[in-house]
Amino acid sequence: MIQRRHFLKHTLLALGGTTLLPSMLMAEEKTPKSRKFKLVFDFDLHHDTQPFPAKLWNPLPQYTGYQKVRTFVFNGNYDRFEINADNPYDADIFYAQWEKGNTPKQLHIEMEVETFYRSVPVARIEKFSKMHLPVPQSVKRYLEPTAHIPTDGKIKAKADELTQGMKDRFEKVRAIYNWVTEVTFRDPAVIGCGKGDAGKMIESGYFGGKCTDISSLFTALLRAAGIPAREVFGIRLGASHFSLALGKSDKHGFADITTWQHCRVEYFIPGAGWIPSDPADITKLELVEKLSHSQPRVQELKKRYLHSWEMNWIGFNHARDFILSPKPEQYPLNMLGYPYAEVEDEVLDYYMPKTFRYHITSQEL
Amino acid sequence: MKKQIFLLLPLALLYAQKTATIQIKGMTCPLCTTAIKKSLKKVEGVKSARVRLNTKRAKVQFDDDLNTSILLDAIAKTGYQGTIISVESR
Repeated sequence: MIQRRHFLKHTLLALGGTTLLPSMLMAEEKTPKSRKFKLVFDFDLHHDTQPFPAKLWNPLPQYTGYQKVRTFVFNGNYDRFEINADNPYDADIFYAQWEKGNTPKQLHIEMEVETFYRSVPVARIEKFSKMHLPVPQSVKRYLEPTAHIPTDGKIKAKADELTQGMKDRFEKVRAIYNWVTEVTFRDPAVIGCGKGDAGKMIESGYFGGKCTDISSLFTALLRAAGIPAREVFGIRLGASHFSLALGKSDKHGFADITTWQHCRVEYFIPGAGWIPSDPADITKLELVEKLSHSQPRVQELKKRYLHSWEMNWIGFNHARDFILSPKPEQYPLNMLGYPYAEVEDEVLDYYMPKTFRYHITSQEL
Repeated sequence: MKKQIFLLLPLALLYAQKTATIQIKGMTCPLCTTAIKKSLKKVEGVKSARVRLNTKRAKVQFDDDLNTSILLDAIAKTGYQGTIISVESR
């Protein structure tokens, strides 16, 4: 029986690799600069009571033009696993389940990923923005509100105020981006990346937060102004070429990235497509390097992050306020930038990797 | 006779419990449920607590002599506001 289970797991492991094969064979885009990293997730789930059962949903990198998963292997002592994207946002998830027992609950996921510097030239965005093309049907959902991204009330009022008299979409984006990066600041007391409750933020008038908070505010205002937008939850992988505040590694390119989750934003200009942006890292640069908003270094990053991403980071998904598959005990889930696990109806604290017991590392290749 | 008393004692204790259903305002993420559950379980006299995000409700089993305002205080400590919907004796 044990042998059969062992065999099945290894067969499924091979199948897991096979499912990624067609994508791997896709022709690479002609991107000038790429970076490769070995990304490793390790889990050894912990709970105060023994024995306990456990369910784990771990976000996986999305396979898209600016990032590729080149190899993917995993193993563990789970009783069941599946890789699925069975949720309204097609977020890729590794699900593992352990039956009630005293045995350790371990999972190891290892992958090699390649990321490509991502920038859409401002001239291209401006050109298409002036054409006033219609928003494609498939993108219209990113104009809709969610529980944490309202598009009415004070959010709508602020978006209207900031974009008053403007017709051009990119002009509206600039106005909102300028306001968000000027008014928000990084609050180190906020746990993790923050809850990303844009409605609460604008209601309270307190604009201190972390990446999910600031990205959610930007997203909500853009949507309220008629610009499709979405957060992209992911994790920093290594050294930034701009500032150590935005990612670092040791001299061998290794980094313990367990707590390096980072949320960014994309907005959509018809014809130009999804445009990368990162208002939250402007505030992080200000805090870590003790710079004021008007200083040239901040203004330089602000200029870049209106339309580009440095790719020492990998994106998982843009899911908000959704239900995972298999359906957990607690739902809906606010976001999936961190591993999510339940012991019966109790959610393990994903902001506490030492008690949850997960570890994420990255090695630049 | 002694044996009968010992057998009846756990039953009597069981009947001296209540279950409160509490509506919780402001709970927006799954992790909120864990914080509330842990806070409720720290209260002396609370036997079990289940918190659901989708219904935004908690079901708390507690000793008969415990004042429900203590349960609401435990919820308030986590930054959320609870309202008692019902209390049933077992």
